[in-house]
Amino acid sequence: MQQHIDGKTLNYLFTMGYRNLKKNIQIINDLNVFPVPDGDTGTNMVHTFGGGLASVKQSNNINEYTESLAQSVLLNARGNSGVIFSQFVNGFARGLKDKTNICFGDLALAFKYAKDDAYNSIMVPTEGTILTIIRESAEFLDKNAEQFSDFKSGFEALLELMKSTLAKTPEMLPVLKEAGVVDSGAAGLVCFFEGIYAYFCGISIDSVETIDLIPTQVSNGTVDFGPDSVMEYGYCTEFILQLMNKKVDIAAFSRDKFLRQLEEMGDSIVCALSGSILKLHIHTFTPEKVLAYARNFGEFINLKIENMSVQHNETQIEAKREKVKYAVIPVVSGDGIIEYFESIGATAVINGGQTNNPSVEDFLNVIKRFDAEHIILLPNNSNIILTANQVAQIYNEVPVHIIPTKTIVEGYSALSMMNLWCEDVETLITEMSSGLDNVVTASVTTATRDAKIGNVEIFKNQYLGIKNKDIILSGENRLKVTRDLINQIMCDEDKSIIIVFYGKNADESEVNALQNYLKNEYPLADIGFIEGKQDIYDYIISLE
Amino acid sequence: MRDFVIFGDSTCDLSKELREQFGIEYVAMNFTINDVEYPASLDWNSEEAKAHYDIMRAGKRVFTTQVPKNVYYDSFKACIENGKDVLYISCSSALSASVNMAVKVANELKEEYPNAQIRCVDSLISSLGQGYLLIQASKQRSNGLSVNETADYIENIRLKVNQCGTVESMEYLSRAGRVKASKAFFGNLFGVKPIIISDRKGQNYAYKKVKGYPNARVAIAEHLVNAANGVYDTLLISHADCLDDAILLRDEILKRAEFKEVILSYIGPIVGASVGPGTVIGFTFGEEVTIEGNE
Repeated sequence: MQQHIDGKTLNYLFTMGYRNLKKNIQIINDLNVFPVPDGDTGTNMVHTFGGGLASVKQSNNINEYTESLAQSVLLNARGNSGVIFSQFVNGFARGLKDKTNICFGDLALAFKYAKDDAYNSIMVPTEGTILTIIRESAEFLDKNAEQFSDFKSGFEALLELMKSTLAKTPEMLPVLKEAGVVDSGAAGLVCFFEGIYAYFCGISIDSVETIDLIPTQVSNGTVDFGPDSVMEYGYCTEFILQLMNKKVDIAAFSRDKFLRQLEEMGDSIVCALSGSILKLHIHTFTPEKVLAYARNFGEFINLKIENMSVQHNETQIEAKREKVKYAVIPVVSGDGIIEYFESIGATAVINGGQTNNPSVEDFLNVIKRFDAEHIILLPNNSNIILTANQVAQIYNEVPVHIIPTKTIVEGYSALSMMNLWCEDVETLITEMSSGLDNVVTASVTTATRDAKIGNVEIFKNQYLGIKNKDIILSGENRLKVTRDLINQIMCDEDKSIIIVFYGKNADESEVNALQNYLKNEYPLADIGFIEGKQDIYDYIISLE
Repeated sequence: MRDFVIFGDSTCDLSKELREQFGIEYVAMNFTINDVEYPASLDWNSEEAKAHYDIMRAGKRVFTTQVPKNVYYDSFKACIENGKDVLYISCSSALSASVNMAVKVANELKEEYPNAQIRCVDSLISSLGQGYLLIQASKQRSNGLSVNETADYIENIRLKVNQCGTVESMEYLSRAGRVKASKAFFGNLFGVKPIIISDRKGQNYAYKKVKGYPNARVAIAEHLVNAANGVYDTLLISHADCLDDAILLRDEILKRAEFKEVILSYIGPIVGASVGPGTVIGFTFGEEVTIEGNE
């Protein structure tokens, strides 16, 4: 019977929890209130905790271990459930401050703080979610934790409570009941604790290989390099050089002397010499000179030269930070939408969105590239706003402002009103926010299962017409669904601007037909079509 | 005191009737479509204007050139030989380099005819804003002012002509480099209307954005009525083949202030080439322009 555990054991327990979470990733993703293929709670929780585990500083000391874990989980948080989960871990760590090892009873305080932090991270906490499980667990442990002398019996009771709470979530949250699912974030947390409990039962959960998680990519507004581009930054040149006896007296080789000549060829030089191996990093406009020079002393083991205007990755050792007054950074997905957002003035774009929520760290990586007076984030997804808030709390160098855009369409509305030579940030944000109340997001996608939402009868694989967050119609013909959706909104509300972002799966003739239809039907409206190339939603339509 | 001839140029957008009424001549710039060069006449009817803008709508580019040297030379010289002085009120120097050529020609002619007075005034505006200044010059001439007095008068009041308008697409302005605004402003924005004024340097300046044409109309009307500040004398509206929009703008403005006179006109091919079809611009006279485009 295990009565005490230390940091190392806790790490093992958490790894088991994580593995079980990962094993069930698809099941959790599918616990989607709407029958649309955009569930990503499982993915977000796995990323959040997995990213944390990957970079935690191991320690036998519970306090040291949990503090480090909390830090790295916070950085990796993504999606609403992920952010709540990260705050759970953060509070958990606070509750175990000064502990070198713990008994089951210590979990009462850990869960109490975990509950506090989780609730504090949400403006308006919703019951029937992961929050409820955390709260009820905390209340249970507060009353009963001391009764359990060992972890196995304690976790057994705790897990039983969690499961019964999970089963009650549809009763607490009508949308869950209507969709016939339990809350996905709550289910994720239960999976996590099931994994932990399995350890005490002697069941092993193997490291599971699941679907590839797409890393969030960063795209920069200035990456294009074409026939007329100006070579602005030079080349990031890195190599490992084997010094050769027949070229140089290796024993007498002086690194400093070697560098003296190089200094005229570039900057950001980092050089390490270990025995007869020399490693060099340099930013230069004339890599050919650097290479020719280096070959006087040896031969290359490997070599990498990248044009820094198109350099995406983190190999730059001292990346120059771009100076801007305002760094306006939207989160977007879809190659076409990314390109479009960059063309209308986004300082940089974080590639992400539904089913691919960026983490706090993804945000920070982009923000850090700019020497800005103000950072303005456009989350463009209700499931990313919380992550953005967390970013604003963590990043202290300059103010981070969030315009809480919930969709790509709202993001467009904000960006299109942006005026970057605005004197003060308040005016800028007011202008950017000015259209948000008036904009309607309409979207068209495919149903993943049969369902009845409100008065709409839905069959699997039908097309769904969605107005803001409500499914308002369904049908077999995508063009008709799209037209009817737009007509219904135009009929209800007085809109004069229609902008259609068409996705990867929308075909050209259909797009043309829609374009002609709208131009005839709404001759006075300002109509725009943009090839968004987005996944999941064949059409995303802005009506303003 | 010698009589003088008042010249505008192809960007002043004054119709034949108005030019005849006020005794205003003009020197023509040229434009090129499909490698064929045409003089930019101000005497086009609505069919010709529509045909011209339809060609632009179909994606053909229109290139423009400044007033040729010989046109200035011949036009000015003819006046002088008739015993008249010359007042030329040009398109804003920020939009066309024509006025520089005119000054050069004027200096040459003064050597030939030391007694001749040739004044070239940079209107710091274009279209009917320039047209308005030409009409005011004509009125001062009728009041008996000399060429120099009239030129000075126009130089004093030119910044009191306020321009405010919007374009259907920013594409033309940005392509022609004829607008001051940051790159982000030029993005291919749908549903967003730039509000474009002529600033103190005579450059078109997109100084704010509004959502949708109805809001743009209100913003333009408010700007122009505020700028007129009680002097509800003449309202001028020019348009690039969108009479309906021009009329809606007129009514929006007249709701706010009763102007004694309203002049509506087509935007000619030269200004049209740099603003594009669907452009509506209003002009009123009153407060001095204070905005100066940065960058």
